[in-house]
This record gives sequence, structure tokens and C-alpha cells, in this order.
Amino acid sequence: MVGEAAGDPDRHGQLLELLREEHPFYNDRGTASTVRMRGWILATLARIGLPDDALLFVLEELDTGVDPYLVAAAARALRSYPAPRAAFAPLVMGALANIRYRDERVSFESYGAYAVGLNGTTPVAELLATLTWLGPHARAILPDLEALRHGGGVARKYAAQLDAAVAAIAAGDLSGEECCTLPRGLGAMLSWPLGTRRSDDAVAQIVLEDHDGNEIAFDELFRGHVSIVVFFYTRCDNPFKCSLTIAKLARVQQRLEERGLLDQIQTAAITYDPAFDVAERLRTYGRERGLRLDAHHRMLRAPCGLDALRRHLQLGVNFVESLVNRHRVEAYIFDRQGRVAASFQRLRWNEDEIVARAVEVMPERKITFPMVGTLSSLALAFFPKCAACWIAYLSMFGIAGLSQIPYSPWLKPAFAILLLLNAATVWLRGRATHRMTGFYLVSAGALALLSTLQFDWKSAAVAGVVLTMAGSFVSAWRRPVRASAATRTA
Amino acid sequence: MTTKRKAPAKGAKATKRTASRSKNALAGRAAMAVATSPKRTVKQRVAAIAETPLTICESDKDLQAMLNLLRDRNEPIAVRLAALQSLQAASFSVIAFEACRGDYIATLREVVDDPDPELRQRVLGLLAREKDGFAQKKLIDGLEHPERALVPPEKALQLLAYDVHAEAYAVARDVIRNPPNEDSRREALRLLSADATAAPIFEKLLGDKNELAEIRQLSASALQALRPEKLQTQAREILLDASDYDEIKATSLTALTQFGNEESVANDVELRNRVDEMAATASPNVKQSARRFVDRYSK
Repeated sequence: MVGEAAGDPDRHGQLLELLREEHPFYNDRGTASTVRMRGWILATLARIGLPDDALLFVLEELDTGVDPYLVAAAARALRSYPAPRAAFAPLVMGALANIRYRDERVSFESYGAYAVGLNGTTPVAELLATLTWLGPHARAILPDLEALRHGGGVARKYAAQLDAAVAAIAAGDLSGEECCTLPRGLGAMLSWPLGTRRSDDAVAQIVLEDHDGNEIAFDELFRGHVSIVVFFYTRCDNPFKCSLTIAKLARVQQRLEERGLLDQIQTAAITYDPAFDVAERLRTYGRERGLRLDAHHRMLRAPCGLDALRRHLQLGVNFVESLVNRHRVEAYIFDRQGRVAASFQRLRWNEDEIVARAVEVMPERKITFPMVGTLSSLALAFFPKCAACWIAYLSMFGIAGLSQIPYSPWLKPAFAILLLLNAATVWLRGRATHRMTGFYLVSAGALALLSTLQFDWKSAAVAGVVLTMAGSFVSAWRRPVRASAATRTA
Repeated sequence: MTTKRKAPAKGAKATKRTASRSKNALAGRAAMAVATSPKRTVKQRVAAIAETPLTICESDKDLQAMLNLLRDRNEPIAVRLAALQSLQAASFSVIAFEACRGDYIATLREVVDDPDPELRQRVLGLLAREKDGFAQKKLIDGLEHPERALVPPEKALQLLAYDVHAEAYAVARDVIRNPPNEDSRREALRLLSADATAAPIFEKLLGDKNELAEIRQLSASALQALRPEKLQTQAREILLDASDYDEIKATSLTALTQFGNEESVANDVELRNRVDEMAATASPNVKQSARRFVDRYSK
């Protein structure tokens, strides 16, 4: 299947689909089989070239991978990306530090092959080759690599490869390049603007059980507060995934406490393994990692609702019988209606970034109706702006007798205030969604309309109405978009 | 002055360390020469291998020589087993062994199907502890196709149980349905004790008085891990049933003492009266567990 898709350029997209954990391909496979399957797909991408859409899967493996086969395959695949980038270097260096104690031989000769005897390659060899490929783009990690070389952090058999990598990196200077920002659109954060979020109706009635055995419905828990929600399970044996996720959630709670937001933003950790992770196990796991546990901050399991949650949130997880065989790192921000406002996927998220995003979602309570911007613009556009307009409108609606109402001069400032209010609303939405096009259009419209108040330019009025309406629609109607590139520190 | 006094001391220490390292290297080289010499007796070679330093990884030549001893089927099995033991001891030092790990694991994979059953079993054991997918595949294959089995089924199940993520639950269920021997059945149950969906199997076994005491105790432990509330219900029934075995009663008492729901047990007058009676009249083993129960719930 992988080979066929690789041979047909029109089917390369299928390889990307096969990398998603929730794909039925992975149903009821053991972890070892899952590793072989994913590794083979990455190795295939290494042969045919790594597209943008698959880059995040490769970076994920470098960031949190602990399996030698997958890390080696990811390092290979990255070298087939069209161009090296400085943002890849910290991830490659991090993978080198993580995997060097599990530097086993691996084989990419055929699907499912294990290296037996002294053939094959190793993840460290592949990562060093990738650093060499990055060359001067990896300048930021050169001191770390040299420290590794001088401190004997990598086996002596790699000395020549290590020297080659250092020489390649030191060969040029690209200091102008931004160090750690991933290419735009390839970030690990997804953001859903207010009007585009999916209702939580499908999961609203799911009963969750918390770390003390208390039961609470999904909507009861998540409606009314902004929430930071992570997924994990206690039997996870990847130290860079579940265990670290819970430890990081504890740090998120500290950040919230420092900012006095502990009562306003709640946190929740939901297990992928509800049958095994009973209340006591959840409590112990959380406390051992410094997690605050109370009515606002809970560890949860969904004894009968995990499938619905999986479908609703499109969780990146799959199972062999009841046990997780593979999952991604994933964290969500729910708005006050329990809808997903943002998600952080695959790469390890940053505590400050997730708190900042949750804080951005908080003021949305003031915009209680998602179409408010559009409707106010429509009202504004059709608002009668002169005495003749009043007569025309009232005549049009058959209330000719009211045409005697005199045109009031106070309408001008009221109209100007409405225009500014509309622009401010659109600006707030633009800031939350990282898309300012709507605001620019509305601003231009407002300027045009205001100019008609002063100069009575008919064509400017028409343009103003059109621009205001267009800006408001652009602001309100938007598909989920990838937010600005996730930033990572070296 | 202080600096001056410290500098020579540091230098002396370094010189001493270098000298000691050279001495060890010389001793190691001599031991390796004996270990790899076919002219020496097996006993001499095994003794020499035991003396090779744990820092074998520092010399690629010595490492490869040791790996060759392990993989060479023409070498005496005692020498090969000694080589395996030496490498295994060196591997405990994770950082020092880092450079050798790849070759070590790949060589272990090479000898999993060795004709010698002891070597095979030990190598599979080492790989299984590393949660090695290659070894897991071989073990599962042997359970599904007994003619290809590298180790007895009970051993294969025991080794697969090192990794809860191994794809072994289905094959363990097959073994329980159609066990080749009692040990295999026990090991299959032990493996399934990490599978949350297997709780009904353990409930049934624990409640079955015709079942072996060992299997019922294993079922109680599994239920404790998977469904503590079910164990509590069953433990109560076992304790109220005067005809059940003492070992099972003791296990039930321990489960309720350690993990029982404090409120429900404390309010269960019938159960507490029964345990009071046991604390006074039961066999010594049960009496001791009953007293611990009484101590906890009387508070």
C-alpha cells in the first residue's frame, strides 16, 4: 500500500493520511507494529521527498521520539525536505541528545526489517548526517554540538561524522536567518476563530469521573470557564509525552497562579486509558508530578465516552484492544461554551504560549454573539444617513406619515460612534484570530463613510458601505486556520 | 599560594588515574588474549572472560572480539555464555556502554535462534527486557506456531509480559482457551492482568472454588489493579463464605485492609462481625490478616 502510494505522485497525499494515528490502519496493532509501519512511511517519504504537509510528523518524531527506528527514519526524511532551515536544528540536536543512549542499529532495506548483525544504520548516524545537511543553518546549535564532541557525548565511532557536521555548520554564516521559527503555516498550533468553532453538543452529556471519583458531565464541567485540556495515560512509556505533559500542566497551573487566573482558567488532564486509569491511579500520577488537584483543576477519565471524545476532538490516538499503541502530544483550549478555540499538536507545547492563548480566549465573553460584527455593520450600512434617506426609508416601509420627523443633527456623532464601535469589534476579532484583513477593510469603509458626512460624496458612501460590509463578513466568516508559526527556543 | 598547592595535587591525581587506567587496559588486553585463544582450555577462557573489565566498550577491538565470541557457533557454549554475561554486566553502565549498545543489541538479535536453548532463552530475555520488537515478534510467532517456538510457551509469555504494549493479549487469550500446560495458563493470566478488558475473566476465576489457589490469588491481584471495586465485592463474599480456602481468605482480607473503601467497609456490620470471629478462631495465617483488618477498621 505504501509502495503503491509512493509510486504514484497523485497518491502521495495518502501517505500523509497514513501518518495520522487515528487511521484505521493502526487499529489493534501492537506498538512494535505501529512503529514499523510509521517508520516505513517516513522512510518512503525520505525517498520521494518530504512535502510541507508531512513536515510536522517528522519534526514530532525528532522532538518526542524515543524509538531508534522512528528517529532514524525522521532524520532521513528531513533531509529530503526541499531546503534546510535553521528552525530544524534545535529539534535535530534535541533528538541527538535524547536517542544517544538508545542508539541501536536499524534497517530500511524492506518493510518490517530489523537490523541483525552489523549491517544497517543508526539514529545517531542519521542525525549527524542531517546536521551536515543543515550546514550553516544549524549555526545556533554549533556550541552544543562542539560540547558534545569535546565531552565525549557521542561514541568514538562517530568522530569522523561529527567532525564533518561541525565543519559543514561552521563553513558559512547565515546569522541573519531567524533561528527557531518554523515555516509559516507549519506550526503546531491550530486556532479556531469564534464564529467557526464546533459546538460541544456531541459530547455534552458524556460523564467524566475525576481523580476523586466524582462524576460530572462534560458540559457542566467545561461550560462557563476557559479551560486548558491535555491528554495522557499513566502507562505511557515515553518520558517526553505523557509524563512531561502532566509536569508541564503543573507549570501551567503555576503560571496561572502567578497571574491570579487560577479561578478563571481551569485545567484538565483526560486519560486515553479510562479502563485502567482509575481515580486513585490518576490522583497518584498527578500528585507525583506536582499537579494541583481540586474542583477547578482535575484529572479525568471517560469510562463510557472516550470514543465520542475521540470523534469530537479527532484525537491523535489509536489502540491495541484497550491499550494505547500510539498517540501524539495534544493540548486544547476550550472556550466558555466548551468548544475548541485552539489546539497544540505533536510538538511539545510551551507553557507560556498556552497560557497566553487561553488568556486571549477569556475576553470573548464580551462578544456573546458571533455575528455581532456582521450585524452591526449591516445595520450601520443601511442606517439612514440624511433627511432624504429617512423619508425614503420610511416611505419604502409604508410609513409615509412619519416622514415629517425632522432630521436631527445628533445623528452624525451617533453615527460616527457606531462606525468606531464596529471597527473596534472587528479589530478585537482580528487580534484573536491573527487575521487583520477584515479590520483593514472596515477601517477603509469607515473612513469613506465619515468623509461623506463632511463632503456629501455619494460614490464614497457606496464604497464605504461595500467596504464595511465586506470587512465585517471577512471578519466573521473564516475557516479554521493554522495560527502563526509556533516558535521554539533553541 | 593556594592555587599553587592545588595544582600539583590535581596533576598527581590525574597521573594516578592515567596510570591506573593503563594498568587496567593492560590487564584487560591480557584477559582478552586468553579469552579468545582456542589453545587455552574452556575453563581458562571462561575465567579470563570474567576478568575482562566492565569498560570493554572503550576498545572497539575488544568489544568486537567479545561479540564474535558470542555469535560464533563453533565456540564452546560455556565460552559464549561467559561472553554474554560479561557484555550484560558491562551494559548496566548505561553511559559507558552507549557506544556499544547498537552492536550489542544487533548481535543479540543474531543469536536468538541459536541451537543452544539456554543461550537462546537468555538472549531473548535480555532483548525482551529492552522491549525489543524483533524479540517480541519471534516470541509471538512461537506461540502461534509451536513448531517455530524458540522457548517454551510459558517462558515466551513471561518475557512478553515485560512490555504491556506488546501485541500479546490476543495470543494470551488463545493460550487460556487452549493451554498447552498449567504453567502457560498461569503466565497467560499474569500477562492479561494488565489488560483492562480481561477483568471479567479474573472475576470468574476468583469466584470459582474449584480453581487452583494460586490462580485465584493471581486473579485477586489482577482485579485489584483493574477493578478494585469488583475485588471488594468478591472479597466480601469470600469472607462471608465459611467454606472457602484460607489462602484466599487471607488475600481477601489483605485486599480489604489495604485498599477497601473505608466508609463502606466500616459500615458493613455483617462483614466486621465475621472478621472479628476470624481474628479469634481462624488459622494463624488468616488470624494475622484478620487482626490487621480489625486494627484498621476499628479506628
